[in-house]
Amino acid sequence: MWYLAELTGNVEVIGKGLMLGAGMIGPGIGVGLIGNAFMNAVGRNPESAKFLGQILVFVAIVELMALLVFASLFIIK
Amino acid sequence: MNWLIAATETGPPVHITPSPLFEIGSWQITNSVLYGWIVGLILIVALVSAAFRSRVHPKSGFVQIVEAGTEFIVDLLKNSLGSRAKAIKYAPYFAAIFFFIALSNLLGLLPVIGESFTVGGNPAFRPFTADLNGTLAASLVSLALVQYFAIRESGPVRHLRHYFAGNLKNPLTYVAGIYELFGEIVRLFSLALRLFLNIAIGEIIISVFAYLGKFAAPITALPFLGLEVGVAVLQAYIFVMLTVTYLSLAIKHSDNSDHEFEDTLVHTMHSQKVAK
Repeated sequence: MWYLAELTGNVEVIGKGLMLGAGMIGPGIGVGLIGNAFMNAVGRNPESAKFLGQILVFVAIVELMALLVFASLFIIK
Repeated sequence: MNWLIAATETGPPVHITPSPLFEIGSWQITNSVLYGWIVGLILIVALVSAAFRSRVHPKSGFVQIVEAGTEFIVDLLKNSLGSRAKAIKYAPYFAAIFFFIALSNLLGLLPVIGESFTVGGNPAFRPFTADLNGTLAASLVSLALVQYFAIRESGPVRHLRHYFAGNLKNPLTYVAGIYELFGEIVRLFSLALRLFLNIAIGEIIISVFAYLGKFAAPITALPFLGLEVGVAVLQAYIFVMLTVTYLSLAIKHSDNSDHEFEDTLVHTMHSQKVAK
């Protein structure tokens, strides 16, 4: 069998690192957008600062993706 | 750097799945089920005694906490379903699941939960919500009840028309309907996974930071313990919030279902703030 490249050693760590790094991009952007929208809203209308509790609900919805990636760290072998 | 190498050698105790403790007949009892029974028992005793001790001017602090929580859920339902009569009709289940999830999450942060008590090498207690079986059961019961309430409210045919909305001679209606039915399964798993992952990963993070801290474990784990107290109540709120939103969508009769979910969610949360 001919290989283009061969990885030897602790490949599991590389896989986990790639998964964590790539998987956290989306939730990171998502939470950033939520924060961006919130700060914009507060900047335009300071009264809207009272919606911080609601922002946490949406953050929790986006956070699910990040948690899935994090949990996979302990599941994949 | 010795402590880093040591961390990779043994590692902190990390559990994703519950561990079996003993068997009753052919039923395997895991540590999370045992914990769930205990929390259920505590909840029944606490809520029944609070119901008996409830007065117009409550004296004890505990009854006030229960009343505030119940009032919070009734408010949430009222804003979502429209009237207070409907809210009180549906409040018993939602208040119960809110208190159960919150209590299960909060008691899971006690020191006795986890590695301190072990039976045959496995932890004797594990938070019920840190077990995917538990949260899947909770969301399954919740969504089954939502379906039941919706059918009782509007009848089976009108409820089905909720999914297969539009002209029945158009084949696209059926495609969209099957897509909507598939969305129910997505809801089920997203509800279950959100609760499970938040609590299970909270446990893991606390255990990792207590492990890395070595002798300073109380200091390094404390911020995350505080974070988890917030997450515990927030996740119970989010679980009830989303279930109520699904219920209000299912019993509301509207032809266009486009962006209905987001609209109802935002409307519910907005009017809740206004009511306060």
